[in-house]
Amino acid sequence: MNKEASLDSLNGSIKDQYISNISTIVTLISFTMLFATLFLGYALYRLTAETWPPMGIEAPSLGLPIISTIVIFLSSVSYWMFEKNFEINKENKGWLWITSLLGFAFLGTQVTLWSSLKASGLYSSSGIFGSIIFGFTWIHAAHILMGIGALGWLAIKLKMDDMKLMTVQNVGKFWHFLGIIWLIMFITIFAI
Amino acid sequence: MASFEQHMHPKPTTFLSKYVFSFDHKVIGKQFLWYGIFGLGVGGMMALLIRWTLAFPGEAFPVLGQFLFPETAGIVPPDVYAMLFTMHGTIMIFYAITPILIGCFGNFCIPLMIGARDMVFPALNMLSFHLALISFVILLAGLFTPLGAAAGGWTSYPTLSTLVGSPGIGQTLWTLAIFVLGVSSTMGAINYITTIIVLRAPGMGYFDMPLTVWGLWLTAILNAIFLPVLGAGCLLLIFDRTFGTQFFLAGAAATNGVGDPVLFQHVFWIFGHPEVYILILPAWGMVSDMLSFFSRKPAFGAKATALAMTSITILSTLVYGHHMFTTQMSPLLTQSFMTLTMTISIPSAIFFANWLGTLWKGSIRFTSPMLFSLGVVFVFGLGGLTGLYLGTVTTDLYLHDTYFVVGHFHYTMAASVLLGGFAAIYFWMPKMFGVLMNETWAKIHFWGSMAGLNIVFFGMMLVGYAGMHRRLYNPFVYEFLEKTIPINTWITYGALLMGASQLIFVVSFIHAVFFKKEKAGANPWEVGTLEWTIPSPAPHYNFDKIPVVKCGPHEFGNPSLTSGRDFQYQTEELVKA
Repeated sequence: MNKEASLDSLNGSIKDQYISNISTIVTLISFTMLFATLFLGYALYRLTAETWPPMGIEAPSLGLPIISTIVIFLSSVSYWMFEKNFEINKENKGWLWITSLLGFAFLGTQVTLWSSLKASGLYSSSGIFGSIIFGFTWIHAAHILMGIGALGWLAIKLKMDDMKLMTVQNVGKFWHFLGIIWLIMFITIFAI
Repeated sequence: MASFEQHMHPKPTTFLSKYVFSFDHKVIGKQFLWYGIFGLGVGGMMALLIRWTLAFPGEAFPVLGQFLFPETAGIVPPDVYAMLFTMHGTIMIFYAITPILIGCFGNFCIPLMIGARDMVFPALNMLSFHLALISFVILLAGLFTPLGAAAGGWTSYPTLSTLVGSPGIGQTLWTLAIFVLGVSSTMGAINYITTIIVLRAPGMGYFDMPLTVWGLWLTAILNAIFLPVLGAGCLLLIFDRTFGTQFFLAGAAATNGVGDPVLFQHVFWIFGHPEVYILILPAWGMVSDMLSFFSRKPAFGAKATALAMTSITILSTLVYGHHMFTTQMSPLLTQSFMTLTMTISIPSAIFFANWLGTLWKGSIRFTSPMLFSLGVVFVFGLGGLTGLYLGTVTTDLYLHDTYFVVGHFHYTMAASVLLGGFAAIYFWMPKMFGVLMNETWAKIHFWGSMAGLNIVFFGMMLVGYAGMHRRLYNPFVYEFLEKTIPINTWITYGALLMGASQLIFVVSFIHAVFFKKEKAGANPWEVGTLEWTIPSPAPHYNFDKIPVVKCGPHEFGNPSLTSGRDFQYQTEELVKA
């Protein structure tokens, strides 16, 4: 019989951590597969195309996407600061607010990006190029909204005594995950 | 030993908290069971309409036809026929088989069989059921829209599913429903995986888990990984339909800037092939257990069975291309997919041989769960073997999209999973509702279903081999198919027999749940797994004290048993001779 496989020798809080970490990993795998599928499709379109962007379409300027990247990077940094502070002082919510604000700022840059693309004549119905830029950023922005929801939930729950560091860390993993996804999107769709 | 204290919700008192918004995994399991049985009813009714049309083309469907299709005097019209086979497939796969096998028995069995008091995330579990409910409502709403429900087949290939092929809102609702159901199932999967990893009772290693739990666990892993793939495809399809994007719009490559319909097929089958294993793995697990339980013998090579199922799980992710041999795939790819597909035969043969090894020289008890399990062995064997012709490129090119395919996937996905589900219902009935179902009617139900489904699905393979295409409204306009009318009529008689048998089940089930006075004992089947150590029906907290596991789940007829029975509970120590 396999004795070491069961976790009964661990005490409650460590076991809690196991549950939380395992479920977070599984959740992130699921989200990864969602985005991986999108990138798979993108890779197929791009690799089978003779020219990219397709004929008659201008690649959008890099200005706004760069700003988005900086903003989402800063939000990850500020969440990291929040996490570090949480270990010292559970009451300190300052960095959490900054993270949420940067999240909203990121959404703002996305909305601006969409309207500037439309102004330059690129719509979601402008062939596969427009479809990819709009479709992918929509899906990512919807996840950012979910992430901001998670941050708000954290802010409310923070008052409770049993809020644990790992919950904060797990919300953080999701937030950083969204940052990474944006970075991949920035590099593959906008930069190259 | 500091045992982990799970947070328990208090015992519910009001109707709403007891039956609707329950956190209890057993209640959620039962909710999924009713949901699935309702789905079976709706999907089955659609199947009968389809069969009627194929056996008696141009004749009015008796009784119901007048109400359903007044404008054609009861004859199923061609556009409705397309909706029927689409919705039949979708409902049976996602709203009948999935909720019964995974939703009901996943929820019900996992905590009980691993010695836990509930799932790790009871609230997530409840949310998962309610999302599934919303999804079903969205799907059925499609039937009442102006242009009707989705009609592009359950696979919803573009361009059939883009605005070009189906302009109505029904297809959008279908896609949305599948997306919502995907979210719901992913939540369930995260719950199952985590529960099995962290909440196994003290002393229970992975190979001490019943094979049922193995099957459900592997299913959950596949669900968590591959449902989001379908989710992404559905999102893009919704975008195409509502926001005018062009991901799946037909056109030549990306040089002129439009999308690729075949991409959806790739995305669909990357999910879709694991999906067939998602459906069958729980049934395999349950059957592996029950063959041992009712042969009164240890499961032959239980560890090998578990590992074979694991390797099938891994291989199932690599073979999806065999659904797409006719999409002008490069021969190098088709050969690779064919080889990988054939590789699945090896682990399949291992656990199939193990099933037969378990039966060999057992003192078999022909109870209703055992009959259904043996049915699964027979039917899955037939379904699996006919899969070889579809996995081989040369034969698939001829058989693709014929009724041979329909017969094959009904044998594997419908017949064997359905029989497995019934075996599970008959088997766990005492633990769920505290009563046993009537054995005589159960056996009539079994032989009726078994005869019916074999007539139906074997007949389908015959007409498919004769060249009958799977989605034609009236195939007999073609001269070479006219001769298949008698077989098609017989298939329909088989379908009626099968439908009548299910009525027996429904009556027997409802009678047992609501009206049966005679209560079942704690362990009517004399089986040693953890759920049979507690009273029937399982109490609110499952286990008073978390059990300590001391042996495996299949200790039957072991010479070192000390209990005086021919089995022993997993909580009892095996004495070394």
